[in-house]
Amino acid sequence: MSLTTRRLSVLALALALPLAASAADYKVGPGSTLGFSGKFQGQQFDGTFGKFDAAISYDAANLAASKFDVTVDTSTAKTGDGDRDNALPGSDFFDTKKFATAHYVTTGFSKDAKGDIVANGNLTLHGVTKPVALKVVFSPNAGGARLSVTGTLKRLDFGVGSGEYKDTSTIADEVLVNGSLNLLPK
Amino acid sequence: MPLRSDHTRWSTAAKTFHWLMALLILGNGAFALWMDGLKPSMQKINMFALHKSIGLTVLALFLLRVLWRAIDRRPPDVPAPRWQHLAAKTVHGFLYLLIAAIPVSGWAFNSAHGFALQYFKQFNLPALVEKNPELSDTLGTVHVYLFWFLLLVLVAHVGGALKHHFIDRDDTLRRMLPFGRAKRTPPTFPGDTP
Repeated sequence: MSLTTRRLSVLALALALPLAASAADYKVGPGSTLGFSGKFQGQQFDGTFGKFDAAISYDAANLAASKFDVTVDTSTAKTGDGDRDNALPGSDFFDTKKFATAHYVTTGFSKDAKGDIVANGNLTLHGVTKPVALKVVFSPNAGGARLSVTGTLKRLDFGVGSGEYKDTSTIADEVLVNGSLNLLPK
Repeated sequence: MPLRSDHTRWSTAAKTFHWLMALLILGNGAFALWMDGLKPSMQKINMFALHKSIGLTVLALFLLRVLWRAIDRRPPDVPAPRWQHLAAKTVHGFLYLLIAAIPVSGWAFNSAHGFALQYFKQFNLPALVEKNPELSDTLGTVHVYLFWFLLLVLVAHVGGALKHHFIDRDDTLRRMLPFGRAKRTPPTFPGDTP
């Protein structure tokens, strides 16, 4: 293939993309969880969000047409500790009065060195928008699909933990996020 | 100063254990009473973490001290009525018991509450019991009351030492003081080898 024909074929592919069949659309079904894990005083704690919603369009063969759009009610975070659960919605952490929801929207998908699919997107949390990458495992099943995502973010990038709560020697900066969604066809 | 105890005084090791632990225990107790009144904050969390680390240090020192006590010699008891020796032994027994029981009850309290236990931000120690709010309340009370009981026993311990020093004018206190030297020729008993 000459250079010219290769360029032309890339151009043709680019033009054809919007015409490609769109990915399948899913909604969140029962048995779905969205959670996070942090470290406090060197010990891991796990939290979940009681209320969230997601619009998922996914086709492993057509990642360009795939999209995740997730909205999380940050006031519903529970970590199994009363003191912590009282503190999380407060102005030092999620500040849910000002920022009731967190929002994640993908900007595209890629493959990492191991061949795993990675969703690249922007997370808006606590009023701050930053890119966050999530590893994607998508398994179609009889009723729809199971979508598992994992990723890490730095809480201080989003200003979660202000003032003295910025101290990462007590509350680690890194937070693992994980989701396991039971997807039903829309 | 001799590492090991001899006929006239306690060893440097025994004195160090005694005074260092006295300082840490009383200091940590006073510190706890102060920090308990702080408003919830990161500072309070870090103060509690410090209190726990000091308490664990006391527990570690206690174990080393018991080990050392088993190896070291000890100066003979200063002559006194039998009931006084018995009282001193009882008081010492309670002190040892409480020095161990206070940090262990604190550790168990911490575990039952579900808190992490990190030693001076370096490494974590396992929980002694499962998370249990009711047990946590009980252990918290026990932890505090054991300290009040320690202070009570300490009144007898310090009182006895001062009585020996100022009334009996013997070497009981002097031989445990950091730089103390026995003034009198120590009593010898049959079978004692200085």
